[in-house]
Amino acid sequence: MSNSSVYPTPLNTFKQSKRSVLSVIVDNEPGILARITGLFSGRGYNIEALNVTVVDIKDNLSRITIETLGEERVVNQILAQLEKLVPVHSAINLANLKESYEAEICLVKIQFENEQQNNEILSFADIYRARTVQKRQFLVIYEISGTSERINKFLDDLHTISGIKVEKVRSGPIGLGI
Amino acid sequence: MSMDQELTGAEIVLEALKDQEVDTIFGYPGGAVLPIYDALFGQNFLKHVLVRQEAGAVHAAEGYARSSGKVGVLLVTSGPGVTNVVTGLTDALMDSIPIVCFSGQVPSHLIGTDAFQECDTTGITRPCTKHNYLVKDINKLPEIIHEAFEIARSGRPGPVLIDIPKDIQFAKSVYKKKSDVTFKSHRIKSGSKDIDRVFIEQLINHIKKSQKPVFYVGGGCLNSGPQASQELMKLVQLTNIPITTTLHGLGCYPAEDEKSLGMLGMHGTYEANLSMNQCDLMINVGARFDDRVTGRLDAFSPNSVKFHFDIDKSSINKNVKVDYHTNTDITFSLKAINEYIESNGITFDELQYKNWWSQINEWRDKNCLHYEQSDETIKPQHAISRLYQLTNQKDTFVTTEVGQHQMWAAQYYKFAKPNRWITSGGLGTMGFGMPAAIGAQMANPNSLVIDIAGEASFLMNVQEIATAVQYKLPIKIFILNNEYMGMVRQWQELMHGSRYSESYVDALPDFKKLAESFNAVGVRAKNLSELDDAINEMVSVDRPVIADIWVDKKENCFPMIPSGASHSEMLLSKYDKENPENQKKGKVLV
Repeated sequence: MSNSSVYPTPLNTFKQSKRSVLSVIVDNEPGILARITGLFSGRGYNIEALNVTVVDIKDNLSRITIETLGEERVVNQILAQLEKLVPVHSAINLANLKESYEAEICLVKIQFENEQQNNEILSFADIYRARTVQKRQFLVIYEISGTSERINKFLDDLHTISGIKVEKVRSGPIGLGI
Repeated sequence: MSMDQELTGAEIVLEALKDQEVDTIFGYPGGAVLPIYDALFGQNFLKHVLVRQEAGAVHAAEGYARSSGKVGVLLVTSGPGVTNVVTGLTDALMDSIPIVCFSGQVPSHLIGTDAFQECDTTGITRPCTKHNYLVKDINKLPEIIHEAFEIARSGRPGPVLIDIPKDIQFAKSVYKKKSDVTFKSHRIKSGSKDIDRVFIEQLINHIKKSQKPVFYVGGGCLNSGPQASQELMKLVQLTNIPITTTLHGLGCYPAEDEKSLGMLGMHGTYEANLSMNQCDLMINVGARFDDRVTGRLDAFSPNSVKFHFDIDKSSINKNVKVDYHTNTDITFSLKAINEYIESNGITFDELQYKNWWSQINEWRDKNCLHYEQSDETIKPQHAISRLYQLTNQKDTFVTTEVGQHQMWAAQYYKFAKPNRWITSGGLGTMGFGMPAAIGAQMANPNSLVIDIAGEASFLMNVQEIATAVQYKLPIKIFILNNEYMGMVRQWQELMHGSRYSESYVDALPDFKKLAESFNAVGVRAKNLSELDDAINEMVSVDRPVIADIWVDKKENCFPMIPSGASHSEMLLSKYDKENPENQKKGKVLV
């Protein structure tokens, strides 16, 4: 997070907090996303990532996945507050399930200047099995998916190559439990 | 009417209100609600009360709801009409009061164009309602209204808003009766009626083991309905456990009963707060561990096992971690506990809490609500005590504004029944009391309704006296006039070196003349000898009355747990001084 924000950046405050991924099933109706994000901002909770898509057209349901940072007590309070919202069917913390699986997708656009950089990029893409979406001279777009951690590592490795320009977009984690 | 006859949106609103057995609606007309006002014209099942500003409508609906146990309803126009009710909606949300607010909106095709009197009503009211709707399809209107009422009154009650664009009010559709609507259970979230037997057994075991138990009862008991109070009374009598109530719990248990310790919290009694501090078993029935009640959290009731009854899951472990909890509706949980005790022939040893009661009686002997009444100047506490003495034989409802007078009313007016005490607790809304009294009087036309007020709060919604006069509502506004925002002045005295920044209210009106100019009655008591006469005259006149009671300007409200202090660090009088370390920490709190 950039420190040029007029607000104090919360990174240090949340150092002790645990990362949780919440999965919320809601009626797909106008204002539902605003209700949820409003609840987070109004009560001072933290949204690290957010993903919303319709998952059931027949019953008009959406699944919202929220990555948040907070102590267990706070996360439990978030879940209780979410469940109070009228359009919310259920809100769970994936970490509370016996088994759960997460994935995230990321697109990375890399602009480079020479063959040596290209070789380094190619080797990382190979290690992480990034899929080539588009390739031009001195430009490549990769798609990589997996856990957020894996994507973080790929991006960290790319940043060790000097002189290249990297632009990325991430979906935020999504997850399912058993 | 025939089943499939089409009605306009405005007619559907009226039909749904009839179906919901609404007989009173508070409101103020304007461009975007004219079709609904047109439908109101010439019908006779619904009484519309025209307020003088929309804030009055929402507080009146709150007063109506609190005093009747029914859903309060209001109708306002778009833009400023609805922004004026934002405070009241927030108030109702904080204090769990069921109300439904209908607001007009600019026609659908103008939404988003910054049209005249357009505002993003659902956006503005989203955080201050339990739920809200923007009606986009006339065919959904009947279901939305019925769902709104169900949401407002079920589970933990609260305010619901329905925003209806003007074109929808003109559009036609078939009305759908309440009985034909099936509610989706995930949207209503009503409380469970079944209680876990293990929870009951654990509670009984702890009561049996405990040496120093206490009941801590809040507004949830009130919202569960009058039967909850009956069951609570039974349980307290069966177990011989002392009981303290929050500001909103007043009346759930008779204040004059010997088991009652009075109110707890920032201005609660010595015996109530010390019992909370030293108990070994705390049974919280429908209270939410509010900061006014707990004081400093890390010193809050350090050695107790805590049971929590709350229909709202998010209240559990929010501020205070509890050992056992249930989300069952309080009426049903208390009833089940009483039945369990009776059917299993469980008895409680009368002597079990002998030491605890003698400790409590020692605390009571401190007589923490004592005040010195001189011969001349009326002490505000005395004014309330006399008001209580002179009105408690009547069928009385009391509303308040917010500040010192509110706390004195809570301390010195002793309530015996639930739903008789209507005050703004969570939000602390000055200007609440008079319109709330109007609502309470509409719901209880033959009762005595008194707004215990401060002069500063009263002036915040003073225009509503005209409403009371128009509808011949004989509400009594009992102003403890000290010319200050008393509670602000008290905090400035205690925490800001007596620098009374902007808390003195210069240029007050002559409240007697003010009453007369509105065609209400004004009475005044300037000193002790005039007090009883003023109260008696106020009560006997069958018209709205403003009683201007001149009280000691410098009196402060005690006992007091200053912000940041614990229950055991109570100030009992102006001679007690606060721990300076606490003062530093408390100053930044509210």
